[in-house]
Amino acid sequence: MLMSSGIPDERLLDLYRVMVRIRAFENGVKQLMREGRCGRVSLSVGGEAVAAGVTAHLTPHDQIGSTHRPLGHLVAKGADLNRVMAEIMAKATGTNRGKGGPYHIFDKSVGALGANGVVGGSVPMCAGYALADQLRGDGSIVVSYYGEGASNQGGVQETLNLAACWRLPVVFVCENSSPEVQRMLGHEIDYPQLSIDDVGSRGAAYGIPGVTHPGWDVETVYAAAGEAVKRAREGGGPSLLEFKIYRLDGDTDDGYCPVRLLRERLTGRGVLSEELDAKIWDAEAARVREAIEYAEGSPEPPLIDAYTGVYVGEHR
Amino acid sequence: MTRVITYAEAINEALGAEMSRDPRVILFGENVSSSWRPATKGLKETFGRERVRDAPITETAFIGAGVGAAIAGLRPVVELMLVDFGLVAMDQILNQMAKTTYMTGGQVNVPMVLRCVYGAAGGQAATHSETLTALYAHMPGVKVAVPSNPYDAKGLLVTAIRDPNPVAFFEHTLLYSMEAEVLEDSYTVPFGVANLVREGADVTVVATGRMVGEAAMAADVLRGEVSVEVLDPRTLVPLDEEAILRSLARTGRLGAVDEDYERCGFTAEVAAIAAEKGFHSLVAPVARVANPNVPIPFNRNLERHVLPDKDGIIRAVKAVMKP
Repeated sequence: MLMSSGIPDERLLDLYRVMVRIRAFENGVKQLMREGRCGRVSLSVGGEAVAAGVTAHLTPHDQIGSTHRPLGHLVAKGADLNRVMAEIMAKATGTNRGKGGPYHIFDKSVGALGANGVVGGSVPMCAGYALADQLRGDGSIVVSYYGEGASNQGGVQETLNLAACWRLPVVFVCENSSPEVQRMLGHEIDYPQLSIDDVGSRGAAYGIPGVTHPGWDVETVYAAAGEAVKRAREGGGPSLLEFKIYRLDGDTDDGYCPVRLLRERLTGRGVLSEELDAKIWDAEAARVREAIEYAEGSPEPPLIDAYTGVYVGEHR
Repeated sequence: MTRVITYAEAINEALGAEMSRDPRVILFGENVSSSWRPATKGLKETFGRERVRDAPITETAFIGAGVGAAIAGLRPVVELMLVDFGLVAMDQILNQMAKTTYMTGGQVNVPMVLRCVYGAAGGQAATHSETLTALYAHMPGVKVAVPSNPYDAKGLLVTAIRDPNPVAFFEHTLLYSMEAEVLEDSYTVPFGVANLVREGADVTVVATGRMVGEAAMAADVLRGEVSVEVLDPRTLVPLDEEAILRSLARTGRLGAVDEDYERCGFTAEVAAIAAEKGFHSLVAPVARVANPNVPIPFNRNLERHVLPDKDGIIRAVKAVMKP
C-alpha cells in the first residue's frame, strides 16, 4: 500500500526504525550525562526526521559532513554505535581513540567525515569530498549538514559558490533550529542573526535550487532530499535544502516531535501496531545498552597516546 | 577601597567603567547580551543595545567590523567566545587588525581590543581548549595582554581599551571564577611591566596567564628547598625583558612556563632572550614547561598529561638546580 506521499509503508517503517535508533541513542547519552558518566554532549533531539530522511537516499560510499550536534547524522549513516559511545566516554576504543570527543567524531568506514567543533567548519571540506567524488566519477555524493548560525559563515557561503561553480555533487542541508524566535546557542539574542526568514532562499544567490521545508515531517524531508540527491548524482550540481526543526527535550512529547508524528501517522494507518512499536523501541534500547556496556568496559587510552598521531609516519 | 570579586567581575567592571567614561567604547560578539556570560552580564541593560550588541556566528565579519569601527574613530571591544574560533578569521586579525596602522603609513590606527577567551578547561578537545598567545604575539602590530588574576584583569583591560593600538586580551576560562581583592575605583595596570609574584634567589620562573598560579604553588611547595622567584610579565607584547634579565642576573637559573604549544612559543622567546642577552648570567640550561606540541586531547587523563602544571614546574626547577 502506498501512502499519500508515495513512500511505501515498508520504507516508512525503516525510516521510523532509524529515527527511534537516534532517539534511543541520544536518550542513552542524556542519561549518561545526567549521571556524570560522560561530559557534555550537544544532542540533536528534534532533528531525527532530517537525519533519517536524508540518509535514506545515501549509499555507504557517500560522505557526510556534520556539526557539533552530530549524533543523529552519524547514527543514521550507520556509524558504529559501540565506538561512537566509546568516543563520547573518551575511551581507547572510540572512533577517534578518545582524542576527539563528540564534537569531532569521524567514522571513515561509513563515510561519516565527520562531526566538527567549529561552527561551519565541516562545510568547505565537504566541497573537497564532492570534488573527489566528481573526479572518481563513481556516482558518490556528499551531504553537508550545518545549522542556521553556520549558514552565515563566510566559509559556508564561499563553499556554496564554489560548489555551484564546479557543479559539485553535494547537497547542503541546513537545519534551522530557530524557526520563529532567533536564538544563538539556545539563548535569545538582541539582534537577529539572519537577515531573512528562510535560509533556503539563499540558493538563488548562488544559482542553485534552494527550498525550505518543515523538518519534523519525515515524508517531506524524504521527498525533498530524494530530488536533491538525484540531481547531485546525475551531475546536476548542488542544492540547498533548509529544514526547520525544533530542538526538543528528549522527554517531552512535543507537537514538533518527528518521532511522535510519524508514530501517530503509522499507527493511524494501521501500519504500526503497539506491539510492533514496543518491539522496535526494545530492540533499539538494547543496542544502546550494548553500546554503553562496550564503552564502559573499554580501557582508557594509555598516556603515551597523547603524543601519537600528531603526524603520520615517523616524525622527530 | 577594595573588595573581593572574581576575575570575570573584574573584566565586567573594567568594561563598564570605560563605557561610562568614553562613549566611543562599544562591545560586541557572540551572546554578549546574555545574562549567563559573567564578564559582560548587565552591560546591555546599562548601556543599551546600540553599544552592546550580539553578533551572528561570523567571526570574520564581526572582528573585521571591529577593525573598521576602530579605524573610523570608535573604541570597539570585540569578544571571541573562544580564541580557537578566531582561527576562522585570521585575515581580519593578523592582516587587517595587525598591519593596517603600519601599511597606511600611520594615516589610521586601530584602537580595538579583541577579548580572547582561552585555555583548556577539561574535556573540550582540540578546537575548544587552545591558548594561541604566541600566534598573536608573533604578528607585528598587536599587543598581547594575559592577566593572571582579577586585579590585573581589571587594570590591564582599562589600559587595553585606552591603547591606540589593537590589543589581544587573553582571559582564561578557568580563571573566570578566581577571586581576589580588587580596587572598586578604576585604575590602570601598565603594559610591559612584569609583576614579581614570588621573590626568590635560586631560580627565576617566568610564567603567564593561568600558569602564574601554578608556578606560585610550585614555589610554595619548594620553599626551604629551592628559593624560586616567579615573574608574571602580564603582557607578552610589550615584554618586560629588563625584569626577566635582572632577575636572571641574580639567580643564574631560568624556567619559562605557559599553556601554549612549546614550539616557537612564548617559552622559546624567553629562552632566546636569556641566550642572547643574559648568556653570561646562566649557570644552567633554561627549562621550558609548556604543551609538548600536541593538540589538546579530549580524554581528560590525556589532557591533564599534556597540560603544564605545578608538578611539571617543580620537576623543571629541580632539573635546573642539579649541579
